[in-house]
Amino acid sequence: MKQYNKNGINILLKKTPLTPRTSVCLFFRTNKKEKFFGLNSLLARLLLQGTKQYSAKKLALEFEKECIDVTTKAKQDYIKCGSVFLNEDFNLALELIKDLILNSTFEDFEKEVFKLKGEIISDLDSPKFRLTDCFVKNLFKNHPYSSTHTKILNDLDKITKKDVIEAHKQMLEGIKAIVVVGDIKDENKIIEYFSDNFNFMKSNEIKDEVEDIFKNDISKDEVIFLSKNDASQAQILQGWIVDSFNSEMCAKYAVLNNVLGSSGLSSRLFVNLRDKQGLAYTVRSQYETLLHSGIFNMYIGTSPKNIEKSLEGFKIELQKLADIPLDDKELLGAKENISGRLKYFTQNNSQIAAVDGYNFMMNLGLDYNERFMKEIFSITKEDVQQAAKKLLEMPKLITIIAPDKYKIN
Amino acid sequence: MNIVKKEQIPYPYLKKPLSVYTFNNGYKVVLAKKDSQIINISSWIKTGSINENKDNNGVSHFVEHLLFKGTTKYKAGCFDRAMEELGGIINAATWKDYTFYYINIPKEHHKIALEMHSDMIVDALFPKEEIGPEFDPTGKMPEEKRERYVVIEEIKMGEDNNWRKVYKNLNNIMYENHPYKREVIGTKEIIANISQEEIKRYYQTFYSPNNITTIVVGEFDEEEIIELIQKNFKFKDNSNIEKCVCDSKIPELEIKNPKTVYDYADINTGFIMMGALCDSAKNLKETIALDLISTILGDGKSSRLYSELIENPKEPHYYQIDSCHYQFKDGDNFFIEANFDANKKDIVMEELKNHLEKLQNITPEELKKAKKRAKVNFAQESEMVADIADSIGYWATVCNDISLAQKYLNTLETIDCNYLEKIAEKYLSPNKIAVSLLLPKGENNETV
Repeated sequence: MKQYNKNGINILLKKTPLTPRTSVCLFFRTNKKEKFFGLNSLLARLLLQGTKQYSAKKLALEFEKECIDVTTKAKQDYIKCGSVFLNEDFNLALELIKDLILNSTFEDFEKEVFKLKGEIISDLDSPKFRLTDCFVKNLFKNHPYSSTHTKILNDLDKITKKDVIEAHKQMLEGIKAIVVVGDIKDENKIIEYFSDNFNFMKSNEIKDEVEDIFKNDISKDEVIFLSKNDASQAQILQGWIVDSFNSEMCAKYAVLNNVLGSSGLSSRLFVNLRDKQGLAYTVRSQYETLLHSGIFNMYIGTSPKNIEKSLEGFKIELQKLADIPLDDKELLGAKENISGRLKYFTQNNSQIAAVDGYNFMMNLGLDYNERFMKEIFSITKEDVQQAAKKLLEMPKLITIIAPDKYKIN
Repeated sequence: MNIVKKEQIPYPYLKKPLSVYTFNNGYKVVLAKKDSQIINISSWIKTGSINENKDNNGVSHFVEHLLFKGTTKYKAGCFDRAMEELGGIINAATWKDYTFYYINIPKEHHKIALEMHSDMIVDALFPKEEIGPEFDPTGKMPEEKRERYVVIEEIKMGEDNNWRKVYKNLNNIMYENHPYKREVIGTKEIIANISQEEIKRYYQTFYSPNNITTIVVGEFDEEEIIELIQKNFKFKDNSNIEKCVCDSKIPELEIKNPKTVYDYADINTGFIMMGALCDSAKNLKETIALDLISTILGDGKSSRLYSELIENPKEPHYYQIDSCHYQFKDGDNFFIEANFDANKKDIVMEELKNHLEKLQNITPEELKKAKKRAKVNFAQESEMVADIADSIGYWATVCNDISLAQKYLNTLETIDCNYLEKIAEKYLSPNKIAVSLLLPKGENNETV
């Protein structure tokens, strides 16, 4: 991936010869707490709901008749407009994308609020969704990262069209980048194209107003129980707010996570809770890094009778990793597994654009993946123990969804 | 094992044709060249719930789990650990017509990956201690909860999934007798009680070389791969075993007695699936037509269902809607699925049926858009080694003819609006559709 800055526009280009489809992603950093939860989500959705030139219906048709796949999404730290299309449709796709970014009318505001509300209610019919919603909301309490479905649902009716227009204005004011991955024949031509036509993507350094949060805001372990009386399984999510990519702990947590529960079928949780005890079909750990925070969690879907046994299993596996150093083979295996997964998940143009664009927007640099893997390969057994100990020392949040009679304190 | 045939078969969006090898025992190997840091190795077995009966329903999927549980050479867990320690992503899946096992791994590790993959396919041992003891699922659970219990947890996980519930009920009423009627995952009762002998017998019956296609996609030396395959795929002779008995498999291409089935749960919205039976996936022209109809009806925001019922409704009551076309050896399925305001279920059923009737009027613009989507789907599938392998696996296993992938694009050009309307009338008339609903529990719940 190469980085260019032409007339203040950040343009990232990567050539992938002979690939039939090009991916272009536009990134917009968000720098402050939304006025209402869900405001940026609503904005992202409304970008696809009609411009001065095209109604929502016509816009969808213009994209889909040429198979130009466009998504707009608000994440915790940025809004992204991602697209992928056949190489020959480059100009058409970019014209339409420019139009929706600059000329959206937001006229479908009420309809989109209704649709979003409906989708949220529908998603919350899934017990796993309810569990995750409850976990994130309670982990981050009043922080902007606590923006979950239920919080959005509470705030949706307070949002006005004026708020969306204001949020759109803010979106265009901050740090931005354009990422292009495809069978690029002439880099200069692409750079000139964006310089001439995408002036609105000029990036401006603005102060980030979101607070960093690197530990749980609780003094002791907290258990939240959600009732689902017709559930066949109990689902448990246990976790912590932890350091993120700017900390030396990041690579340590990443290796710990891999060994504990994210390498696949050979992780400690998988082997010891699933294979040896038959407690679950799905059991895993996850480490997610965000600009202002990190999340480490463990998940299991198990028979409601096994709730306590599963929680005990989480504790035992983490304790073992804190107490007993990994052997050389397992440590090296975790590092290789992380490396292989990175290769696997950066195969096609859309994946490359998403990953490299994200790294750029988070100020990590375009060489971040290489630097990250170097850090991973420098991790020692003691580092993994340190990460496990740190988790054990911190109060944890446990959320459980199950029938009432299996409620635990 | 000797090569009896080698063919070069062109494949959409791949620079080089596929090399397809057939061996004297009927075993097939497909090699696809693709520049990539990752190599994908998979073996596709032509068996799934299609080869099950009422007493062993779920065994195909259970065997899939148990293939990871050890061979003569490698104990349970060795394969998983060895592959993942080299950066591999491994797994398997079972469906109605097939079961497949795959490895995605950095290309430099392809030799060991191929060696261990072949070992698990040809020499699975099914150790009793890994399967776990048989037990009564309505009684006391055994202390030793091994893989048998993992599958039961997987079944329970499905019970908590609203879409799976709706699909299970619909699938059950769409068929009279065909094995497709049953759930691929089976039942708790069967999984709790099936014996090691039954499991082994199923494996020995269906994991025969003439039922298996191994696919390798990525950067490799073709001769070396073929040598490795010949060296490692040492199939056992199971010709003398007592074979598993399958149910009769008379294709059902139309729902004999279309019904509506209701189910209830602690939910706040309604879920609906409407389903139709169609001809086999091997009927290429009809299969393409159904793909195109599915795109026109429910793929994307400009599709008829989304555009008319979610974007521009007279009265809004849908939250999600789409349509899909599932291809099977003994006859395809076509579905419309929607999530909606549960108070509006009668209106929803009527509106969706109206949309099926309206398929008698397809415009050239709609057809053009759907054709481009069909072509671009092939371009999309060519981007990653795993997707290429999955696509080849489908054509090799469900259709038994890989050349159909290229023929798909040629046949696509011959299809016009009249043909689509004819196919819609043949399979998707409202009187040929079964309906499954999942609604919030209430006082006046319907049962029929």
